[in-house]
Amino acid sequence: MQRTDDVRREYTEASDAALVVSIGRYQQAALAEAYRRHAGACFGLAKRLLNDHSRAEEIVQEVFVRLWNEPNRYDPERGTLRSFLLAHTHGRSVDLIRADASRRNREEKEARQQAVGGYDISHEVWDLALAGHVREAMETLQPGEREAIELAYFGGLTYKEAAERLGEPEGTVKSRIRSGLKRLRVELVQAGVSMGAD
Amino acid sequence: MDDMAGTPGDIYDIDELLGAYALDAVDDDERDRVDDYLAVNPRAQAEVQAHREVATMLAFTGMDAPDDLWGRIAGEIGEQAPPPGPELAKVMSFDEHPRRRGMAAAAPWIVSAAAAAVIGFVAIGLVADRADAPNEPIASAFETAAADRDSVTTVLVSDASEASAEAVIDQDGHGFVVAQDLPTLPDGQTYQLWGVVDDGQVISLGIFGPNPELETFTVEGPVSALAITIEEFPGVVSDGNPEGAFVGTF
Repeated sequence: MQRTDDVRREYTEASDAALVVSIGRYQQAALAEAYRRHAGACFGLAKRLLNDHSRAEEIVQEVFVRLWNEPNRYDPERGTLRSFLLAHTHGRSVDLIRADASRRNREEKEARQQAVGGYDISHEVWDLALAGHVREAMETLQPGEREAIELAYFGGLTYKEAAERLGEPEGTVKSRIRSGLKRLRVELVQAGVSMGAD
Repeated sequence: MDDMAGTPGDIYDIDELLGAYALDAVDDDERDRVDDYLAVNPRAQAEVQAHREVATMLAFTGMDAPDDLWGRIAGEIGEQAPPPGPELAKVMSFDEHPRRRGMAAAAPWIVSAAAAAVIGFVAIGLVADRADAPNEPIASAFETAAADRDSVTTVLVSDASEASAEAVIDQDGHGFVVAQDLPTLPDGQTYQLWGVVDDGQVISLGIFGPNPELETFTVEGPVSALAITIEEFPGVVSDGNPEGAFVGTF
């Protein structure tokens, strides 16, 4: 029991990169620690995209099982583990959204749930502070940039679909997504948000 | 190389796609084209990585995963995992990652040119007054980096040109090159940035195109020198062209 606690404590203090190396050696406790750190963010993103609790769970399960089976797909030189897991979560969610049946279901659910609204950004002070910085950074964007990013990232639309929805030229929306992301990065860095660090 | 990334105009078009690509907001054909482009363009890779980091922040909600989800994951991997024991450990090497395609064997001319370059550190602040830089957010980030005492700076010069470029790398590895003074290259050529890292290896850090302005790049770990070479489009994976290269040391 003491050894189990020691192992757990060791992983609690390990970097994400070290966790992934241990996952590559079939250390389940390392995967559990990665899950503890990042599963909430993955679930929150998938749920927001899909508006479906069960399917969001399935996506998160798939993402972490894939990390277990293919840990070498994560390259620490290319970003944080959270960024890697969220990118996978987003990609799989978008795959689902882009299936026509899924899109119809989602739009129906969106229509029903908009009245309820609300999105849980509570819990820890740090979480709230970060969410606040993100919200403030989003507010610095030009309206066209903000709409384009929201439709593309949280709406799961391609930039062409977003352009159609907004009634703007495709090239304009494409450029606004890029410039908006660059502006967001600068705003977040200036707000003291650490980008890309474990 | 894909035909979409063959000319300066094409490169501009595909660069404009990088934000949408990072958000999974491109169609399959475009994704394939960007994938091909990223395979030979570390600067574009770094940009996509930066966009994804921003997306990571957007995605952060502070939400918890459902209580019973870990149990299901543990159950699934428990069925797949081998019995514990060091003899069954799966050894993973990060050295074989595709990312390292951009890493070339040491190019002796860059290392020796860097060693020979009589270039001191430039005072931080010399390059900080580029308020007229072309891209305002990047210019702002550059100014922040240039004003930071923990950043390092250098000037890249060439024996073959009166022009020079100035480079800043902040403590987090975000790099900027003020390159608008470099002469515009003829069609079919591009500037390419290289870095000499700790072990003397030379890494391609980005493709600047024929008419660079304020350009960005990312490094991980110390860099002892930078070089900007002139290459045929769309740039090279290794063995940069020494002729007319601009070199600066840190």
